[in-house]
Amino acid sequence: MSDAIIVENLVKKYGDIEAVKGISFKVRKGEIFAFLGPNGAGKTTTINILTTLLKPTSGHALVAGHDVLKEPKAVRKKIGIVFQEPSYERELTAYENLYIHGRIYNLKGKELHSRILEMLRFVELDRFKDKQLKTFSGGMIRRLEIARGLLHIPEILFLDEPTIGLDPQTRSRIWEYIRDVKKEYDMTIFLTTHYMDEAEQLADRISIMDHGKIIAEGSADDLKRLIGSDIIYVKFANGDATKDIDLSFAKSWKLLKNDLLEIIVDDASKAIPEIFEKMNERGFKILEISYRKPSLNDVFIHLTGRDLRDEESRPNMMQIARRRFSGRR
Amino acid sequence: MDAFVVMVYRQIKRFIRARSRVLGTIFMPLIWLIFFGLGWSKAFDFPYAKMIFGGVDYLSFLVPGVFAMSIFTGSLMSGISVLWDKQFGFLKELLVAPSSRKAGIAGRVIGDSLVIALQGLIILVFSLIIATNIRITGIVPAILTGIILSIAFSSIGISMALKMGSQEGFQLIMNFLLMPLLFLSGAFYPIDTMPDWMKYLAYIDPLTYAVDASRYFLIGFSKFSIFFDMVALAGLATVFLLVAMFLFERATIE
Repeated sequence: MSDAIIVENLVKKYGDIEAVKGISFKVRKGEIFAFLGPNGAGKTTTINILTTLLKPTSGHALVAGHDVLKEPKAVRKKIGIVFQEPSYERELTAYENLYIHGRIYNLKGKELHSRILEMLRFVELDRFKDKQLKTFSGGMIRRLEIARGLLHIPEILFLDEPTIGLDPQTRSRIWEYIRDVKKEYDMTIFLTTHYMDEAEQLADRISIMDHGKIIAEGSADDLKRLIGSDIIYVKFANGDATKDIDLSFAKSWKLLKNDLLEIIVDDASKAIPEIFEKMNERGFKILEISYRKPSLNDVFIHLTGRDLRDEESRPNMMQIARRRFSGRR
Repeated sequence: MDAFVVMVYRQIKRFIRARSRVLGTIFMPLIWLIFFGLGWSKAFDFPYAKMIFGGVDYLSFLVPGVFAMSIFTGSLMSGISVLWDKQFGFLKELLVAPSSRKAGIAGRVIGDSLVIALQGLIILVFSLIIATNIRITGIVPAILTGIILSIAFSSIGISMALKMGSQEGFQLIMNFLLMPLLFLSGAFYPIDTMPDWMKYLAYIDPLTYAVDASRYFLIGFSKFSIFFDMVALAGLATVFLLVAMFLFERATIE
């Protein structure tokens, strides 16, 4: 069996509202798989179904070989989760938090103790093991939560928006840990995110989700190929080059300024030598040449007509409030 | 069984760490004892009053009531806090873990009731200083009564939290359940002097039997037989603990 997660026609309705509208996908063993989409796309609902916290309205989901509806306990044994909303005891120390988690997963004694120390070292929190979590920063808490998700060495690790609300340095550090998890523990990782860069940096494959549906799936490169183009910018020294040069290999081209040419092609790595050759033949001098790959954001715009970054810049007050107020008790 | 033990451990550890919270929870009962208790105690300082209050002064009469009140409110609140806990808190951890959910939630209830009974003990020890007719020998059985009472109302709180699902119901319960149950329980005044219609309500208020049992142990006076009080309380605790365990087993986070 090479699929860690198999989902078929999964539907979740809340009353009349369809949060997940019949999605199907597979996650291969050992890969990092990302659900990318704006807030409210149905990502968390899906993760809640896969982790047996929520019952689907219809459809099937197999996680680590077990049906989430028929064998929830078998699924729970094989998964680890880092929730979007923090769920820890701020009065207790890092060690105690992991200890409680370990005991719930039937670990105990020396094995549990050495596992806790190993995981604290892994996320570089071993120095803080006896500090109460109320003294931790948001990034440290996230790292501890990752350590906790790993403690019982699950087959599949679920990460729901793992870097939401964190600063850029902390985010890239969390990314490193996630990559290391895959390397060191050979784990399958399922993550949801509304950050394009996060999906692009981490995921082997990405499903773009919008309004409860998967609208595209593949590696970041596959997805960008949906636009099918690279964008090349050529700056040249003398005169208007476009009159004399045959640009028939390009999908389209446009003169942006007198001396700046934008050429959209399928494959820039092949097109650039050709441009050089043709410019040389005609005796034009190239001052600068650069090309840009379309971003995942371009893909999202291409597919939905909306900008993923717009949704991102609009702060989700509910989420912020939750992060602030939870863990108070 | 691990889940049970570790949840008891967690509740106790949390209690030990959060000293300010402990202070906060015993503050209100102490206010009741000192101001309400001492205040009325002077007003009720005549022979007929003593007769109504089971042969003791009003402050001593009030102590078992405030003791039961603090355990009752503490337990109900802690149970209802599961409402937040299952969405944002640690209970979510328990819901996705392979261990027994029933054992986990039972561990939480027992852990909470030990902690809350300990707070009750602090109140009783304090009351020994200001009230004159409290029996020291009654403290241990009163604490045991407190633990049973706490198991009952933590479980009731949890069951309501799991059924409610939303936070809007919270205020409703506080208004329509907490205060009436308190006033009907005979904690502040005897049931015998209540109007008849109120008496009947008092009889179906489970808190009545906890107040009555505490009074039996602490001042040697009770309206019902202690056996009946304890059977009623233990029955209630057992039934609602089972209900809470059953509901938590099937809980989702809609």
